[in-house]
Amino acid sequence: MPAMIVCHACDLVHRRSAVGFESRIRCVRCRAELYRTSSASIDAAIAVAATAAALLLFSNMFPLVALQVNGSARTTTLLGAAWGLYGQGYVPIAALVLVTTVLIPLFQIAALLYVLISLRMRRKPRGQNQLFRALTRIRPWAMPEVFMLGALVALVKLSAMAQVVPGIALFAYGALMLTLAGLTSMTPTEQFWQWALGRRP
Amino acid sequence: MTSYVRGRDLGLLVCTECRATVRAAGAARVRCPRCGAVVHERKPHSVATTTALVVSAALLYLPANLLPVMHMRTVFSDEDDTIMSGVLSLLQEGSWPLALLVFIASIVVPLLKLVAMGWLLSSLALRSRGHPSQRSKLFRFVEFIGRWSMLDVYAIALLVALVQIRSLAVVHAGLGALAFCSVVVLTMLAAQSFDERLLWDTGRDG
Repeated sequence: MPAMIVCHACDLVHRRSAVGFESRIRCVRCRAELYRTSSASIDAAIAVAATAAALLLFSNMFPLVALQVNGSARTTTLLGAAWGLYGQGYVPIAALVLVTTVLIPLFQIAALLYVLISLRMRRKPRGQNQLFRALTRIRPWAMPEVFMLGALVALVKLSAMAQVVPGIALFAYGALMLTLAGLTSMTPTEQFWQWALGRRP
Repeated sequence: MTSYVRGRDLGLLVCTECRATVRAAGAARVRCPRCGAVVHERKPHSVATTTALVVSAALLYLPANLLPVMHMRTVFSDEDDTIMSGVLSLLQEGSWPLALLVFIASIVVPLLKLVAMGWLLSSLALRSRGHPSQRSKLFRFVEFIGRWSMLDVYAIALLVALVQIRSLAVVHAGLGALAFCSVVVLTMLAAQSFDERLLWDTGRDG
């Protein structure tokens, strides 16, 4: 550990020995989080990431919602939501929906699994630094919880005109949302580095 | 009164990517020894970039709210929905909690973000010295709520994908949705490019 910690939000210098060695430290002036580690083991994080991978797969394999009108049913999948917009010529919105709901969670899960499994096997993953940085940057753009609320709004609007049946994928995606939130709190940036550099907090 | 020492005064930098402490050592281009990212004392061109993004978002806020985001053709009618009329129709269907949610996420939050970012930027331009802690709280709030505006975009995406039944109703996305998406993305990028430390540089301590 360096002797000094500088707050990334207000540039205040903290003496390492004065702020203590708890797992979560806040800036004394602006209350920004200076530092957070997790008590989770690499094995636990790998298990949660593998669960998230399975849930992401399920939520793309099955229909999200079915709409029943006059005996005929129409269903859509997660990818179908982006595809419909693409088909109507709204390519940027389709891309944004695809990236924020499927591709970014996919990248987060794949990158974490790759990095954590390598570290578990005591190997330095190739491209480790780039992957860690990408994972930190990408976090605000993963929006499964926003998508779930958006889906709720769409379902309520639709229920006024037809019978709406939530599909397996909707539940799988809801579970993915919770799993990803857990995974994020198990793998704070500082914890990567402690694992990578083989140091205990 | 406590005296506060800034990293800038001691030649200490903090890596914005991995939060490691980095010694400046007078070099023009400093790299983080831990993760290899380029480290700056302050994010370069933060105010100019953020201002450009906020102004673009503010210009697009009007078409985002005035143009239809969705078009629904049914057997009986042909109607355009703006964001506000979508809120009103939710209200008519009796689900006022959802109407309130969409109203806040799609109308209040983008407006709040634009006003707050504009206010923060002008406080920097005027070299305002007061209340950096309040201003940084406001900034963090804006940063936190930004993504929730995507809610309406996802709802529209699902309606477009599902409601394609010729005999009953067909939904098309509208140009307003494109403008709305741009507002959300631009304001999120504006929050990312803003350097919070600038708020504390001119302010009084505490």
